[in-house]
Amino acid sequence: MAYLLHQLLTRSAESYPEKAAVSAGGRVLTYRELDEQSNQLAHLLRARGVNKGDRVGIFFPKAAESLVAMLGISKAGGVYIPMDTQQPAQRAAYLIENCAMKGVLTTGPLLQALETALKAPLGFAMVSWQSLAEFPATAVPDCGQTTHDLAYILYTSGSTGRPKGVMISHQNALTFVYWCAGIFKICPEDRLSNHAPLHFDLSVLDVYNALEAGATVCMVPPEIAAFPSSLANWIDAQQITVWYSVPSALILLLLHAEGKFAALTRIRILLFAGEVFPMKYLRQLAGLLPDVELYNLYGPTETNVCTYYQVDRALLPAQERLPIGRACANTEVFAVTDRNTIAQVGETGELYVRGPGVTCGYWGDVEKTRKMLVPNVFQPHFEEKAYRTGDLVKLLEDGSYDFLGRIDSMIKSRGYRIELGEIEAAMLSHPAVREASAIPLPDQEIGARIHAVVALHDGIDLTAAALLQHCSSHIPKYMLPEFIEFREALPKTSTGKIDRVKLASESLAARA
Amino acid sequence: MESTRQQIYDFVAGIARQKGISDIGAGEGLTENGIIDSLAIFRLVSFLEDTFGVRIADDEIVNENFASVDTVDRLVTTKLERRPAAR
Repeated sequence: MAYLLHQLLTRSAESYPEKAAVSAGGRVLTYRELDEQSNQLAHLLRARGVNKGDRVGIFFPKAAESLVAMLGISKAGGVYIPMDTQQPAQRAAYLIENCAMKGVLTTGPLLQALETALKAPLGFAMVSWQSLAEFPATAVPDCGQTTHDLAYILYTSGSTGRPKGVMISHQNALTFVYWCAGIFKICPEDRLSNHAPLHFDLSVLDVYNALEAGATVCMVPPEIAAFPSSLANWIDAQQITVWYSVPSALILLLLHAEGKFAALTRIRILLFAGEVFPMKYLRQLAGLLPDVELYNLYGPTETNVCTYYQVDRALLPAQERLPIGRACANTEVFAVTDRNTIAQVGETGELYVRGPGVTCGYWGDVEKTRKMLVPNVFQPHFEEKAYRTGDLVKLLEDGSYDFLGRIDSMIKSRGYRIELGEIEAAMLSHPAVREASAIPLPDQEIGARIHAVVALHDGIDLTAAALLQHCSSHIPKYMLPEFIEFREALPKTSTGKIDRVKLASESLAARA
Repeated sequence: MESTRQQIYDFVAGIARQKGISDIGAGEGLTENGIIDSLAIFRLVSFLEDTFGVRIADDEIVNENFASVDTVDRLVTTKLERRPAAR
């Protein structure tokens, strides 16, 4: 077993040197090429002073070179930070300063924008890959890395204010990769899609499970990601066997390329994570791809994935929501009730996660780390931490969990406890509704007023009154939104999730 | 009345502004710079259908037609020319 992420590459490069490791933008790198080029980059980085634990940013549009960068930095002993190239330069500069990056791998124009936003000059910036050829293609000398050293930092937007850097060690990532390898039986013949941006943790599976198995990771070209019909053609042409994305990407395919699903015969596993999959779309998907194994993966960036649920087509018609399932191997999850006991069957509580897959904390933020990674009081014999997800779950009879929503999206209105996700599920169950979000607006008198923002399917009219009528048969009256706003689409974050912060601030502003 | 092209440009510029991009060129790649993503594309399609009374099929929602303001204009203009009686 590998104990450092890049060993997954070096091992597969020995077994399958001439097999395609990555395919992106019409370019293919074999395992040998990827191994050699990342060795060259590691030598280059060492020459620039990068050593064990040094942070290096990856700030250029996704390409085959992104893998060379991730693996080269890791081989040099460094910690890589994938950075969204579409974020404002100010935010990118903040990440660089926050974790004191030694340098970045970037492009000329991006560097120019960055330099105007940075307070202090960068240690180094590499904008050209030409000089790589001057360095040896052999492995760099070992710098004493262990499995507990950091492999990468993923910055996630906090619900308020500054992005926070989730630190992931080699062991954290490998715990997840080895679980996936076992359960999904990824083999050298597999072709894995990479739809998620590299700063989003879904990409960890795409990249490292491909490398672990000697399989090929195929990056979705950015110029077709927005076009469902082209994307469906691409999945077919690339002969993708394992697809992983947020549900919204699959929903767009269902809505605008339904006729192409019949051609997608190579897919054997379809994975989704990151947000709740509305049941009506999931049923449609399960019907269109009758032989494909469908899995709901759950887990905040801090835990990679910590629970999983395989969709059971026999249960699907009657299920009101999809469980998040049970813990992955080498991981324990448990729910803590508001009485501070471990939830029994039928009880709800906050989900805690324990095990080697759980993050080491937030870069440079001891306080936040202490708040989220807490001593496990249920195991008093030695010091051990558990991660508080902030998610409310219910333990089901078969030992799996239902996801009920964020604890902080649990609101009180007129004294009732209201879970916003339930309101959203009720709205989404209407056939005309494409997207829906429930927003609580603070109210001095009744605690909170609920405002809903809804996007309908094209060409379908639905009045607020009719939607409320529909909802009233699914949820109690006190949960009905007071006001429904119709929009063409709901705003999304860079990772494709509904941007609740933006919606809430817009709703507040509209009301003021 | 504003030209088709100008109306398309204004709408796309509006999307760009929401994303913090202040300046776009008519021939500029809309997907490369992130102005048109999987959500914005359907806002744009609805806008074109509502404003110009054209129908854009799922198969036409591809990069070749939505690469720039110029290509979008060509798509809409071609559709409008094909059915002069409707307007």
